[in-house]
Amino acid sequence: MKYASAEVRKQFFIDMFTRDISLEDCVLDLIDNSVDSYLLKHDVSISRLVFGSNGSPNVVADPGRIEVTCNDRQIRVVDTCGGISRERALHEVFCFGHSEGDELGKLGAYGVGMKRALFKIGNSFHIVSRTSSEGFEVSFKLDEWADRADWRVPIVFVEGAGSEKRAGTSITITELHEEVALRIKEGGVPNNILEDASSTYPYFLGECVNLRIDHTDVNPQLIRLGELNGVVRPANERFEQNGVRVTLAATVAPGQRKSEDAGWYVLCNGRVVVRADKTNLTGWSRELASFQPKYRSFVGIASFESDEPLKLPWTTTKRDLNRESGVFIKARGLMAAMSKPILTFLNSQYPSDTTVEMADIRDAVGGVKETSFKDIAAKPIAGFLYTPPKKKEKKTEWIRYQADVSSLDRVRRHLRRPSMGPGDIGRFTFDHYLKTECSE
Amino acid sequence: MNHVSSSYRVQYDVRPAKQVERRMIVDALQRLAAVGLPIADYQYTGFGAIYFIDFILLHKLLGLNKLLSLEQETSLESRVRFNRPFSCIDIRMVPASSEIPNLSRDARHILWLDYDGVIQKGFISDIQSALTILSPGSILLVTVDVEPPEDRDYREVDPSFDSSKEVLGPKHWKRYFEYHASSYLKLGLSDDDFGKSQLILRSTEILRAGFTRWIVARGEVEFLPMFNFAYKDSHAMLTMGGMIGGRSEKRLLTASSISDTVYYRNDFDSPPFEIHVPRLTRKERIYLDREMPCEDDWTPGDFTLASEDVLHYRDIYRFLPAFAEILL
Repeated sequence: MKYASAEVRKQFFIDMFTRDISLEDCVLDLIDNSVDSYLLKHDVSISRLVFGSNGSPNVVADPGRIEVTCNDRQIRVVDTCGGISRERALHEVFCFGHSEGDELGKLGAYGVGMKRALFKIGNSFHIVSRTSSEGFEVSFKLDEWADRADWRVPIVFVEGAGSEKRAGTSITITELHEEVALRIKEGGVPNNILEDASSTYPYFLGECVNLRIDHTDVNPQLIRLGELNGVVRPANERFEQNGVRVTLAATVAPGQRKSEDAGWYVLCNGRVVVRADKTNLTGWSRELASFQPKYRSFVGIASFESDEPLKLPWTTTKRDLNRESGVFIKARGLMAAMSKPILTFLNSQYPSDTTVEMADIRDAVGGVKETSFKDIAAKPIAGFLYTPPKKKEKKTEWIRYQADVSSLDRVRRHLRRPSMGPGDIGRFTFDHYLKTECSE
Repeated sequence: MNHVSSSYRVQYDVRPAKQVERRMIVDALQRLAAVGLPIADYQYTGFGAIYFIDFILLHKLLGLNKLLSLEQETSLESRVRFNRPFSCIDIRMVPASSEIPNLSRDARHILWLDYDGVIQKGFISDIQSALTILSPGSILLVTVDVEPPEDRDYREVDPSFDSSKEVLGPKHWKRYFEYHASSYLKLGLSDDDFGKSQLILRSTEILRAGFTRWIVARGEVEFLPMFNFAYKDSHAMLTMGGMIGGRSEKRLLTASSISDTVYYRNDFDSPPFEIHVPRLTRKERIYLDREMPCEDDWTPGDFTLASEDVLHYRDIYRFLPAFAEILL
């Protein structure tokens, strides 16, 4: 038997697998690693972050800090999220893909994020990581490593951080690739990272980690959901399939809305993978109508959670979903079904004729109060429901009619009040009728 | 869907073929009840309009008492409420799309999406919701008009269509179906495949693809075909339906006597059961009934009736209403 070569070539990895991801997403991959370290170290459950635990505050006592600096000479991510053990450094961290026995994180599914980020961004890498008791340091250059047949990277053991508080990892990438340096020089990259991070980690920022980009705090951009007691009830669904817990909520968002914020938000283990989606990925233009500005108050969250991140429907860039995922296909059906009544409701704000109902619906849309994903998810499974307010009994009504000028003049003459206005005549004659013809 | 509600257009209670269909569905449900399916506990959701005929049958003959009628034509509200025959019928003035997601997951349902129009996006979308939501053991029925789309239907596809200059034909009907259901149609269809007589086939394919597509994601259940009726009172109509079920529901269907009936269809590959109502006088019916069920080659001796009509009559006589004038 002869065999044809089918080996993996280093250069292939370096060239190919850095193509399909943006610079910003690479930095987010590094941030994911920091967040993941913290979650693992402190055994923080995703459910607790997203849904809270029995009403107790979510915030952990001692959140990790992540500092990102980004300029055209270097990109650096430093955290105090607990560090990486020597054991994992030796056998896992620098491998492509996880081994079967590896300790599973929450945000790292494929075991490629850090390596891909390094290779995408620059040529020279310096990584130092310390747990409280031990540490290691890795320095290498991509071009030299690529030339060697050996896939290993040199590692040096260093002392631990001495305390949990100081334990953490720093990754410094220098000798940035020309195109990366160019993009950074062009401007906007740190702002993009800040923007992306604030909308990607709303359930982590301020809860378990604090993140700064170029010395600027990143504030969570919360996904705002609304309800109006007795009038607007959000839809919610949940199910579990193949080790993935799915929680869905869809409703009308509170406050003034921009179309950019409307749509579905998809979370995988709490990380926002798809933001404000209005494409056929989440049923728009297929099971649902195409998005139009009148739907700008629509908001939905689909949360997928699993202890085995590979079972989640995210792609390796964590910016898209795997449409073939069984659990996503099932969720998508429910997402479309639960969205329809909301779109019908929002549609009815704009009937062809002005109606009383329309005013009620607009009041309801404008009046929804902020609620949380946690509160919606705690309720029994239900569809979206709009209950029109009970009609108030009117105390007064308009009387409005046209009268001949000659008739008005006759009344004026009769009353000897030549300057009496038509409104006063109307009032006077009505009162007169009431007084003389209607008993109490 | 801004056309005149069929409540205004159709005198529902005197459509013999439709009534045969309803009675056959009731018959099927009775057969399922006989093998232990708790049909009386099911919730029935349908479009009762102002006649509520299906509601009356299901309540009186099968004992259902959770009944919900949906009506989206708000101008009919007072008449719908006035005509409600039983207090156990709940009425909601909303489109099906708003109510389906609210159907209880704990209850079993009979949901009859008895549309009076040609297939359109909204129908498919309702089917999608229903198949996503309905619990195992529930029954979904969908009725659509299989006549060619009319001018007002087509104008949604092409607002510039001018009926004074152009007459709708297969080319337009193809565009109509592609607009509303392109991903449910087979590839490579030509204009000829959308000729008037072909529209029932296209509609069948679309509904069938819809039933399959949306149930697949649920894994544990499938759509078990039961009904495929074609009939015509004024418009040619198609009703397809079946049960959302897993292995146990499948066993129940097999165990029931439903497969002995002429109308049962356990796959959508076979042609539909066509409800033909021969035009007969009362006297002829009484005569024929005495011989029913007859042998295949039997024909009446006292008057001439095509043997085809005799066979059609044999299929439906048990279900066919007799209409008479009542002077009120």
